[in-house]
Amino acid sequence: MFSFRRVGRAYAGLPRVRGNATLQSTPAPNSDIPPPPPPEAKRPEVKQGAKENSATAAEPAKPAEESDKKAGRGRKYPSKRPLINLEHPRQWNRPVAAGALPVYDYALAYIKRDAKSRRDELEQYKTLLQKAENTPDFVPKDLEKLKEKISILEVQSAINLPSVRWKARNGLADMTLPVYRYLLEQRWREEGALDLLMERIHQMNVVPDLLPSLHPSFDLRVNFPEPPPENIALRSRTKRKYQKIEPGVFLLPEQTRKPPMLYTTVFHPEPKLYTLLMLDLDVPDPENQTFQTYLHWMQPNISLSAFSKSPIPLPTTHTRYVPPHPQKGTPYHRYVLLLVPQPSETERISVPVPTDEQRLGFNYREFAEKYSLDASKGGAAFMWREVWDETVSKIYKDVLKTEEPVYGRAPRPDRYAEVKQAKKYTL
Amino acid sequence: MASTLLSFQRAHKSLRVAQSSIRHTGTVPEGTSDPRKELIRRVLYPPNIRNRATPTGTWLPDVGRRLQRAIPSKQAHETIERAWLLHRRHVRRGRQAELERKFECMRAAMEKLRELDPKLYAEANKDEDPRARSPQETEVWKSLRGSEKKAFDSRIRGLFPREMRTPTDTPPTGGWNYEYTPILRPN
Repeated sequence: MFSFRRVGRAYAGLPRVRGNATLQSTPAPNSDIPPPPPPEAKRPEVKQGAKENSATAAEPAKPAEESDKKAGRGRKYPSKRPLINLEHPRQWNRPVAAGALPVYDYALAYIKRDAKSRRDELEQYKTLLQKAENTPDFVPKDLEKLKEKISILEVQSAINLPSVRWKARNGLADMTLPVYRYLLEQRWREEGALDLLMERIHQMNVVPDLLPSLHPSFDLRVNFPEPPPENIALRSRTKRKYQKIEPGVFLLPEQTRKPPMLYTTVFHPEPKLYTLLMLDLDVPDPENQTFQTYLHWMQPNISLSAFSKSPIPLPTTHTRYVPPHPQKGTPYHRYVLLLVPQPSETERISVPVPTDEQRLGFNYREFAEKYSLDASKGGAAFMWREVWDETVSKIYKDVLKTEEPVYGRAPRPDRYAEVKQAKKYTL
Repeated sequence: MASTLLSFQRAHKSLRVAQSSIRHTGTVPEGTSDPRKELIRRVLYPPNIRNRATPTGTWLPDVGRRLQRAIPSKQAHETIERAWLLHRRHVRRGRQAELERKFECMRAAMEKLRELDPKLYAEANKDEDPRARSPQETEVWKSLRGSEKKAFDSRIRGLFPREMRTPTDTPPTGGWNYEYTPILRPN
């Protein structure tokens, strides 16, 4: 009675949505039986026409659903979102035509009026601040309050405008304006990206093992080349594209041979200095029957701000990048990429370049205490995991130029060795 | 948890989510007369052809059209929602500001009174029991009948007059009393 069908790629990893009319949860987008025709095949024409403007790819505009539409409908929908970014900017247009939805027109008018009154208030406060700064006797606390009020008003005067919200959603954010920085930070913090990262970091026990507390203050996205194609013939013939990595996933050692591309969205306009560190947390230490950290990469004094280039143009090497090499016989290794804020925003720190021997057994806590690096004050983090592969042998041969160690558990002592030697039957 | 949330957000949900490849009505094969078998069969394999709306609206064939009519654009919905919440915020803040202004006026007035006449200030600060009966009121109260006594006491200054008749399912048989006169307190 129940028939199992091959699940399509689009539905492979998604949780099954309990939608309308589901009894069995086998999705069948390419079912042989055509779906029953809908009773009213008409669509509200006005709203459709209004939506098809040049720039309404605001919401996830359901490209997968549209690409699943039957050819019988006659229409071909694009399967990708349109390319909209700062290099290819687009204008915001109304999602609904004027008059089609009166409540929308009222809402828009209300929001515009409110934005105007906020702007007027902002002007008043700015003149107040100027006056306060020019008078010789001023209380710093009052000035701080004024500045805070001004920053709140700067955000409030634009945050409800649909054009601003649309631009923030579609990669057209102007980071000089505080409202866009606020919207992007809100999106990073509240829509799940930061939660996912912290979930992985805490579940993989990076936090108690490496550092006592970690509170990232900006978004760091790591891109590594994609894994090799399954077709062996194409492995050396295709150029590997860089793809985004989810925190906590397993990567192949050949994906991490070269340093990653680090994309950042920083929310503070003033440039601050950060130290980049890449650490392996699970290098075995057989003498002490424990694990130690290995420093793969270190770059102090990286200046980042809301206007710095993304991906980070990695400066001249301080400590060269050593590709991750999880040893054979060890369980999976956790790799952590940290961007820790330095104590001073402008003063560079001078860190001696560690030798290859000093990389093994690198003590992060000591290092952070020595240079007053506090990851709980901000910064960014990322982590992934890796397991031994034949590529690691190549890394040992070509990059590290040492003999590849193989780890394993000590053999269990045989309790019955003596008994086995002795005679069983006395005769 | 967060990964499920993220994948939900990124999921391109279509309205026709799943359609099982085997669809059947609840017809019973010919020849079976055992009611228990039929019951078990109906429970295990309920009919799953959806072409009629359920009475309570749990399944509707034109969900897509209804949703499109209710929320034609997600962006428009968000704009309207924000405008409405903004309006409510302004009204709420206006109310709070007005209340604060009134309270401040009252507080300033009492402060002035305290400076000018401490005795009157103490009098003004005394808690008043709104249900208390003055001597004249007690005299009037003694001359009233039982239910009138209750009606007299129920009128507390500043509160809802509790002379309401006990609500019943049906109106009174006597009809509406047009000759009703309320029993008011003397002051």
